[in-house]
Order: sequence, then structure tokens, then C-alpha cells
Amino acid sequence: MSHQRRAAVLLLSALLLAGCGTSFPSDPTGTLEKVKEGTLRVGASENGDWVDLPDGPGGDVEGTEAELVRRFAASLGAKVEWVPGTEHVLAEELKHGGLDVVIGGLDDKTPWATHAGLTLPYTESRDSRGSLHKHVMLVPLGENAFLLELDKFLAETAGAK
Amino acid sequence: MTAVENRSAVRFGHTELPTEQQAALRKAVTFEWLTIGFLAVSTVLVFAVLGNSQAMKAAWIEDVLSFLPPVSFLLAARVIRKRPTEEHPYGFHRAVGIAHVVAAVALTVMGAYLIVDSAMGLLTAEHPTIGGFNFFGQTIWLGWLMIAAMILTAGPPIYLGHVKMKLAEKLHDKVLYADADMNKADWMTAAAAAVGVAGIGLGWWWADYAAALIISGSILHDGIRNTRAAISALMDKRARTYDDAEPHPVGRQLDEYLQGLDWVDTAQSRIRDEGHVFHVESFIVPAGPMPRVEQLEAARKACIALDWKVQDMVLVPVAELPSEYLPGPTSGGER
Repeated sequence: MSHQRRAAVLLLSALLLAGCGTSFPSDPTGTLEKVKEGTLRVGASENGDWVDLPDGPGGDVEGTEAELVRRFAASLGAKVEWVPGTEHVLAEELKHGGLDVVIGGLDDKTPWATHAGLTLPYTESRDSRGSLHKHVMLVPLGENAFLLELDKFLAETAGAK
Repeated sequence: MTAVENRSAVRFGHTELPTEQQAALRKAVTFEWLTIGFLAVSTVLVFAVLGNSQAMKAAWIEDVLSFLPPVSFLLAARVIRKRPTEEHPYGFHRAVGIAHVVAAVALTVMGAYLIVDSAMGLLTAEHPTIGGFNFFGQTIWLGWLMIAAMILTAGPPIYLGHVKMKLAEKLHDKVLYADADMNKADWMTAAAAAVGVAGIGLGWWWADYAAALIISGSILHDGIRNTRAAISALMDKRARTYDDAEPHPVGRQLDEYLQGLDWVDTAQSRIRDEGHVFHVESFIVPAGPMPRVEQLEAARKACIALDWKVQDMVLVPVAELPSEYLPGPTSGGER
């Protein structure tokens, strides 16, 4: 029994030591490493003041979330590649590794939680019926280093609730 | 024994507990309440940091299921104090067995469900997502809190289990035994979950499911073992020691005592375990003529004095030992 216990303690401390490195948690498919100094692929779904897609080609994506994502990309030295689409199409694309973030004024009750990881709610809003929405962005499932980076950015920038 | 003594004495049915068992029962009740208190804190703590980890989910469900044995024990400890009534001439001892079956089946079902659930996660390769957590204004990785919660909740059950194991032996209580046994192994669940979460941190998404499979395997194992023990107890299996390790020695002691009486040719008993106390039927073949009522009564009293668990005892004088009631090799075995 004490042998088992010692083995468990050893294994745990080994894992904790490994955690002292820079990339803990780390991404199974390396999203954060790929985005740094590279390209942030952002799926954007039109939604009120959050995400405002340009009417014609060549225009800029506007909205509070679009602005946040632009600043996040800048903080990583990455340029943004916008992919407009419906939530459904973007969530599928995110699930299969075609995108890094999806925005669209989504809240933490989003039905896409099976396809994507959710950031911490970074702000709240009330709709016309008075219900509270806690707003999140979608990231690829299990890319925990990338998610933590975005969570930290949103907490510092938008003041996480 | 006077009526005043009657009122203050602690009883299981009509069996008055010896001082040592009374103290053990009081201590067991205290420790089961302590266990419930600990579990209440630990389930809330673990739930707060549950996240998307399958291993944490399994550990949490095991925590929730761990409420069943102490609650069963405390309920049963009340019910079995009732004296036998006209409608329940054997008393209410079986309440313990019923509580045991219910708890064991719950463990089995949840263990099986978690194994399937974890295996599905592994097969569909759904990467567990654990992000940040707002920890007093700081955004830190939620995984650290999961590991901390697991380390915090790993220690106390080892101690609780250790104490309850000793009490289970004194009280001959199998629910308490099963509870103590599970508590003693609980640190392995916590360690497995912590290692699984640390694995996620290293980018090994499968480590979480592997840890969850280990935990659910141990829940299922506990469930099956307890279900088997509880059902065979309700089916009047021969009385065994509190940990089911061997036939209870009191059977041999009773037979040896009865066989040693000068008016007895041979004797053999069958014993069923009612939960804490035994129901004993002893068949006696007299050496000469039919024994006198006083001899039978003296023998019964001497048997009851052997062990506090022997109280409900009948002596049956017979011409020869009835093999249909006493299967197996003769003499020395309580069947």
C-alpha cells in the first residue's frame, strides 16, 4: 500500500514539476503556438452590436467582440483572418480544426458547447425581456493553453464577471 | 433487570448491548456524522471546480454515492432498536441488510454508467476543455484548483475509514465495514483524478478518460462486491465474520459447548446473521432420556452468555441430527 502511495506521490510531483515549464497547460494540437506571430482564424457570426459584418466585399468587421479579437490577435503578434458564416457552419468548422475562435454575441447557454470550448463569461447583458446573458467566445475543444491565454486577455481587457 | 435499567440500555431489538458495544455504537454514530459532514464539504468543493474533466466528474459522483453507506447506517441504527412486535416477531434487524442492498445497487449502476460514459469519451476523442478560473481577481488555470481540491479531500477519508473499520468489527456491522473499506480506498480515487487533470495540463487529453476509467472501475468493483455480500446475507448465508473472511467462530463455540454437556450425545447448530445479532437453532441429540426443562434452560442461558450476538436461540432435542437442515460435513460447522 505504501509502495503504491509513494508511486502516486512521485508521479504527481513529476507532473507538477513538468507544470513549472512555460506551457502548462499545453494544447494537444498546439493552437497557441501556431497563432503566435502567425494567423488567428476568426469565425464571425452577425449579431447586433457584438459582431457587425461588412455589407460588401472589402469592408471591415465591426462590433465590440470583433474589436476585442483584433486586440487579442495583436497581443500575440498575429494577424486576423475573418471567416463570416452562420453559427452552425462556424461551430462545425471550429470542431474540425478550421478555426481558432468563433464570435457572435454568444452566451454561456450556447448549444454549441458540444462542439467547442467556452471562454469564461467576460461581460453580461440584458435582452428586451429582461433575461441576463453571460457572454462567451468559442474556442477549439481541449486547446487549454490557447483558452487560458484568451481567458486572461478577456479578464484584463473587458473585466471578467 | 429492572424497568429503569431497561429504559437506559441501548438495544438491538431485544438484545441488550454490552458496555463495549454500546460505546462502539455511540462512536460509530459520531463518526458517520463526521463522514457526512466531510462529504458535504468535499462534494461542494469538488463541484465548484468540476469543469469539463471526466475524471473529476467520476470522482464527484463517487463522493455523492459515498453518502449512501453512512446514511444507511444511521437510519438502520435507529430502526433496529425497535423491539420485535406481533407483526414482526423476528425484530427489525433486516433493515441493515435492505440498506446495504440499496447502497450496493446504486454503486453498481453508477459504476457501470461511468465506465460506458468514459469509454465513449475516449473513443470519440473529445478533448477535455479546461480554461481559466477567476480566483480572487486573478485568472488562473482551473486545473490547478481541481488538483488542489483532490489533494485536500484525499486525506480525511483514510482516517475515518481506519476508525470505522475497528468499530465495524466490534459491532459486527457489515454496512459500517463496507463504508470503512470504501473510505480507506478513497485516496486512490483522488490521486487518479489529480493525475488525470495534470495529464490534461501536459496536453495528454486521454489521461483524463484513463483516470475516469480507473475510478469508475473501482466504483463498479465496490458495487458488485457489496451487492453480492448484501444479497447473500439476505438469503441467510451462514454467519461469517464482519469482513466475510471466515465462518463466524461463535458457531463452533456453541457446538463445542453443547457437545461437551454430559447429557448430550451430539449437537449441531445453524445460524443466520440478522445484521448485528444471530438467530440460532441448535439441534441436540440427548445421550440418555429426554433432558429436563431446567437442563435445557441452563444450556440456553450458557450459550447466550458466550457472545452478545447470541440472544435469539432455540434448542431442539431430536432423535438424530436432521441432515436436511444441517447440510455439509457434520460437527463443528454452523450451517
